[in-house]
Amino acid sequence: MDHKGTDQGINIFRPQSGLLRGEVQVIVMIMAAWLVAVVGSQVAIWYMETTLIEYWLSEIIFFNLPIHFWLSGQFLPLWFILLGVAFNLWMDRHESRKFEGTIRYRAIGRSKKEQQP
Amino acid sequence: MSSSPVQLIPLMIVAAMFALFVLGGMGSKMRQASDYGFAGNYSGRLGSGAAIASNWMSAASILGLAGLFYLKGYYAMAFVIGWTGGYILLLVLLATQIRRFGKFTAPDFVGFRYESGTARTLAALISIMISIIYCIAQVRGVALLVSWLFGIGYQAAVVTGGALVVTFVVISGTLGVVRNQRLQYFVLIVAFVLPLMFLTKKLGYFWVLPQFGYGQAIIDLQTQFGFYWSEPFATVSLYHWLALCFTLMFGTAGLPHVLSRFYMAPSIRDARWGVVWGLFFISLIYWSAPAYGVLARLYDAKAGLAYKTPDPATADLVTLTAALQGGIPVWVVGLLVAGGLAAAFYAISGLLQNGAAAFAYDIYPRLMRPSATDSDKLTMAKGFFLVLAAAVLALSLKPVGMIAETAAVAFALAGNTIFPAFLMGIWWSRTNAAGVVAGMLVGVAISFSAPLLGGALPVVTTLFPLTSSAFLGAPLVVVVMIVVSLLTRPPSDEIVGFLARNVHDVKDR
Repeated sequence: MDHKGTDQGINIFRPQSGLLRGEVQVIVMIMAAWLVAVVGSQVAIWYMETTLIEYWLSEIIFFNLPIHFWLSGQFLPLWFILLGVAFNLWMDRHESRKFEGTIRYRAIGRSKKEQQP
Repeated sequence: MSSSPVQLIPLMIVAAMFALFVLGGMGSKMRQASDYGFAGNYSGRLGSGAAIASNWMSAASILGLAGLFYLKGYYAMAFVIGWTGGYILLLVLLATQIRRFGKFTAPDFVGFRYESGTARTLAALISIMISIIYCIAQVRGVALLVSWLFGIGYQAAVVTGGALVVTFVVISGTLGVVRNQRLQYFVLIVAFVLPLMFLTKKLGYFWVLPQFGYGQAIIDLQTQFGFYWSEPFATVSLYHWLALCFTLMFGTAGLPHVLSRFYMAPSIRDARWGVVWGLFFISLIYWSAPAYGVLARLYDAKAGLAYKTPDPATADLVTLTAALQGGIPVWVVGLLVAGGLAAAFYAISGLLQNGAAAFAYDIYPRLMRPSATDSDKLTMAKGFFLVLAAAVLALSLKPVGMIAETAAVAFALAGNTIFPAFLMGIWWSRTNAAGVVAGMLVGVAISFSAPLLGGALPVVTTLFPLTSSAFLGAPLVVVVMIVVSLLTRPPSDEIVGFLARNVHDVKDR
């Protein structure tokens, strides 16, 4: 990072602080699950379309819907919601840890001061 | 449709719904303080999610999506995934960080983060362009519904609908009505799903969850009428489908009026959980929307028109035509029309007000009258609101395309400009004013490259289709921002420090 006299630069690919590194790792995992689901589902549908010569895709029924309608129209929005819940639960815990760290740091600082003559 | 009679009962239901919103809005003004007082509790997050969903709802969701399903089948799923998946980008990369900046609008954020009046003005101009394009899509929805309600032609309906929106905004402003988005969401979801339950019940399908029940209509179309939807990628390539889908996702995370929900979220946790609840509420609409398109096809088939070529000019109205063909009670049809009109009305008024504010607070005092007082800016905002409304109506008199596809152009522009500006502004502190200005200018050029250069260079249309240009465009803009930033002076230590300490909680070492 090329910052005049500061080492606080933020770069999502090179997080400096430990806590930020943890957050970025979770973001990368969620984004990977998001990307694989979106691209993977469509590649799978495209693959089925090109290989299942004898059937129309709309003849393969799942949960009362053609498989591709279910996968894209029902499952993926649900998957996004689940990813959001997972991210939020982790972030809530992460922030609680950060908060506890701040309290401990303050408590230690106060006790050292008290020991000084 | 111009010879149709005035639809009295639906008209009364429309009037009743708007009266409810005005009264509910007056009530919410009084309750506002206590709502914020309970920030962080369960109902706060739920309510915040409903507000996000209500803010999101527009004619594109209520009318446009079903029209695309009716017309193009599986292709429209790109909109369902794009308009829901984009919220994950927003959640993990932007929502809470935006809240920590403490700014109020997209130009405000860009101006502060990049310490540049030029970047701010450019972001304001882009916000106005996005507002105009998005509004044109909404006005088409209003015009189609008003045309049916009053039995008048399309152009007369554009003018009538526009006059009604402006009148509504003026009356709401005069009465001091605060938009009660929670109430609106719950009325809208009932107005959208209830008719679907009536329709599927009447057809003998699984009506309790019509989001699954409509699948039987696809089977019936195949077995009874020999109608098969075209295979998913038979008419659109996988690349073009994904390009559209990702453009809509990037645009979702870059639309100024969507981002504006997070500037003043009561708390960081509320901002995060509000997004997830919002996504759930939005998904309730999108799980249901394909059903209208499919049922409209079934009714066509029952009328002996299984293989008729659908007319794009009327496809945007299939939500209504399906309800009418299904023979459900007229008051339920009225509810559906009222829901569609309310979504479009609020989307138009919100977008025009955003656009007017961008002009009055970011462009007018910087480029035209540096000595402008707050009172001057307020007057200018009101005046520019009317100018914008007139411009949108003039551009809407001739239909330009389907609602969802016109809206997608606005998403592409937002995905190519505002989204990269926010993403880089938050996650790479080395991005500077020169980088963001160059990136946003390239983003604007990419957004309109297909209509401008596509004739001479067909490859441009292939790589950057008008509705899907951000798939390659947004990453390209990010590269431009990185290269230009590295070639020019870094941002100030103050803003780098602010980003580390206040936005990302990184302690001084």
